[in-house]
Amino acid sequence: MEFIKNPHIDFLGKARYFVALSVLVIAAGLSWVAAGHLRYGVEFSGGTQLILSFQGAPEIDRIRDAVTRVSPGAVIQTYGEAKANKVLVRISQEAPESDLDAPARAVRQALADSYGQNPILESSSEIVGPVVGAELRQKAILLTVLGLLFQLIYIGARFKGGIWGVGATVAAFHDVLVCLGFLAFFGFEITLNVIAAILTLVGYSVNDTIVIFDRARENILHRRKDPMAKLLNDSLNQTLTRTIISNGTTFLAVLGLFLFGGEVLRGFGFTMVVGILVGTYSTLFIAVPLVNWWYERQERAGAPAKASA
Amino acid sequence: MPPALQNPVTLWLLLAAALAGLVYAFMRPELRWKAIGYGAFLLACAVAIWPPYERQGVPGKIHLGLDLRGGIHLVLQVVVEDALSATVDDSVTTARDQATRKGIQFGAVQRVSPTAFSVEGTEPARVKDMRDLLRDYFRAGWEVREGGEGKFTVEMTDLEQRRLKDQTVQEAIRTLERRVNALGVTEPVIAATGGRGDQILVQLPGVTDVEQAKRIIKRTAQLYLKLVENSATSEEALRQSVGGRVPDNMQVARGQGETPGEPVFYLLRREAMITGRDLKSARVGVDENNRPQINFSLNANATDKFARETGRNIGRQLAIVLDDEVMSAPVIQGKLGADNRITGRFTTQEADELAKVLKAGALPATLRYLQELTVGASLGRDSIRDGVRASIAAMAFITIFMLVYYRLSGLNAVVALAANLLIVLAALAYTNATLTLPGIAGIILTVGVGVDTNVLVFERIREELRNGKTVRAAVSNGFDRVWITILDTHATALIAAAFLFQFGTGPIKGFAVTLVIGLVANVFASYFVSRFLFEWVLGRRHVESLSI
Repeated sequence: MEFIKNPHIDFLGKARYFVALSVLVIAAGLSWVAAGHLRYGVEFSGGTQLILSFQGAPEIDRIRDAVTRVSPGAVIQTYGEAKANKVLVRISQEAPESDLDAPARAVRQALADSYGQNPILESSSEIVGPVVGAELRQKAILLTVLGLLFQLIYIGARFKGGIWGVGATVAAFHDVLVCLGFLAFFGFEITLNVIAAILTLVGYSVNDTIVIFDRARENILHRRKDPMAKLLNDSLNQTLTRTIISNGTTFLAVLGLFLFGGEVLRGFGFTMVVGILVGTYSTLFIAVPLVNWWYERQERAGAPAKASA
Repeated sequence: MPPALQNPVTLWLLLAAALAGLVYAFMRPELRWKAIGYGAFLLACAVAIWPPYERQGVPGKIHLGLDLRGGIHLVLQVVVEDALSATVDDSVTTARDQATRKGIQFGAVQRVSPTAFSVEGTEPARVKDMRDLLRDYFRAGWEVREGGEGKFTVEMTDLEQRRLKDQTVQEAIRTLERRVNALGVTEPVIAATGGRGDQILVQLPGVTDVEQAKRIIKRTAQLYLKLVENSATSEEALRQSVGGRVPDNMQVARGQGETPGEPVFYLLRREAMITGRDLKSARVGVDENNRPQINFSLNANATDKFARETGRNIGRQLAIVLDDEVMSAPVIQGKLGADNRITGRFTTQEADELAKVLKAGALPATLRYLQELTVGASLGRDSIRDGVRASIAAMAFITIFMLVYYRLSGLNAVVALAANLLIVLAALAYTNATLTLPGIAGIILTVGVGVDTNVLVFERIREELRNGKTVRAAVSNGFDRVWITILDTHATALIAAAFLFQFGTGPIKGFAVTLVIGLVANVFASYFVSRFLFEWVLGRRHVESLSI
């Protein structure tokens, strides 16, 4: 079975429209983030998050009344499937390091006092003091940047030309920015799991780009006469089936994660779903055109560009 | 199962021998070594994970992380300043005692920072003697500076501070280990963490009474038996009794009075007669009114000292101070022996917890909570169900797709994916790493990467076939040509995964672990095993077409 036979699509010719689209999407996403719409999970912002499982069906309004009395501004919502009787309580006030779980205790006490007819059977909590939150935020940014940098170095070394590394890295960075915009727009919190997903998608995006770069390297070696643009475009077409099938199956696998992975993995699944789509797109329309643009500029300047690849 | 087969190594040897026999009987000679090598490795993996989960009392080989099992994850900070000031306080006492013994007059000796103390107003004629004394007693790890007019400052060196800090953290870890053992938690993790080296990670999987565990962990449990100089109902009254200023060798402590809500304040000797370190054991008992109390026994050395000191102070009050609070202050009736008790207003549970922490020993410094994560058992079960459901959905879909799209060759991919999974799980079991929910996500992602490797190879083989190559040449070229791509893609993915490791602990590490193992296993399964399967099926005879 084959989906596409011998494709001849002119990816590079239309690249400029897609670059414009990317710039638009990233600009929109970043301004949305800058407007303060990106929410941080409790591990980064500090504070308390409780998941309370009640004996019977929880009445959110009554729970809200009880909780906001001791903790104004708390966010209360149903957690997971409705029949699980679970409620998520997010307390924004700072958890004092001398008595970290004081806000959590106060909330549980308040519920026991004024909503005692529906007792809490089990309580899961995540409490993060201000020190850890700040440390983690810095660490997350540092690690993402370092991860990208090391991949850039590796690719640069493997392809004996900085532009290939730059192409793959710019594409991966593009993916991170687009994902952040999507996360902010759809109201997902930045949690540790989401950071893990972002780092993974960096790896995935670069992985996808490399497959095509490798093919281009092989073509350059065998067909020295052809112009770079044709070589690159042919490489995209030759690997197109693989791009569709590999990314398609991985996409469906993470879609399963997003749909069936439960509450804990929802943010992770969402980031991966967006990430794989964007990662595929950026390989076709950002990474390869960038390399092409570089070589065209070199050629116009009269430098023997192809030999360096 | 016969007992001999319960030993995994024996079991593996037997299975491997059976495999070798089959291979020898049915396989072409040039493939034999590969077949036995790959097969024996995969059999070892299968043996390593058996049984995967707890069955009939035999614990499972796959360790589930906190998020799947339920339990507590705490990050604590050791307030190392406590230990530093305690050491400086000891030094102050030493300096004062020695100067007094040598008959040197001085104004005051006191701690001026957590790491330094000063001596002031030394009599001019004996400044040299004081200098010699300080240099003599504070030679290693200290720096003695002279400020003129008989003033000295003695400060701990940076090196000594670091050594003491490390020692404090290590001691805290050992104490926590003993306490956690008293709780009866299986597979706990207690380890130093964090960049500054003063944080401790405590993971207690499967713990249900979170509050109790936290109380037991956090309690400093410093026990002192100190002589009482005076007592009063307010701190102010006590201060007035000693002329407004508490002398250097005394301290004020608060205690429970006869009636609840009315505390009593005690003026105590700073020097303790007995400390928690002198305890041999501690357990719960009941007093004559059937109220819970804590019985403790002293070790031999301390018993001698205790008998001597109590014999000398008959009729005086002896305060039992626990974490700076006076629990009780009985009058010494006579010489006391090894076995003693602590009474106070405890519930049985409190007394039980106290006995546990006293027996485990005191923490060398106060602990502060930085982070706390508790997962209820039912939430963990939900997560397992969701994770397994997502995994099965992903695998089922991929299996069907590969079989439809690549027909019989797709079977290769399915075998490779199964082998990949087996290796990841075996590596988890073998290294005692835990499987977390993000870890399951990592496995699903590994499956995605595995599919990619197979697709790369299969598409290349198809391309070679279209170019008119024979089946065997197409397969061989296909594998050869994608090798470099597979190497590059896996290397970059490993770079990304390596940075995930840097998040240190918790669920993310679980993700990084499965991803790293999965990537390495995938090269083996989707490249080498798959290539072997092609070679085996294609055989030596001439093949006209390939089901791909």
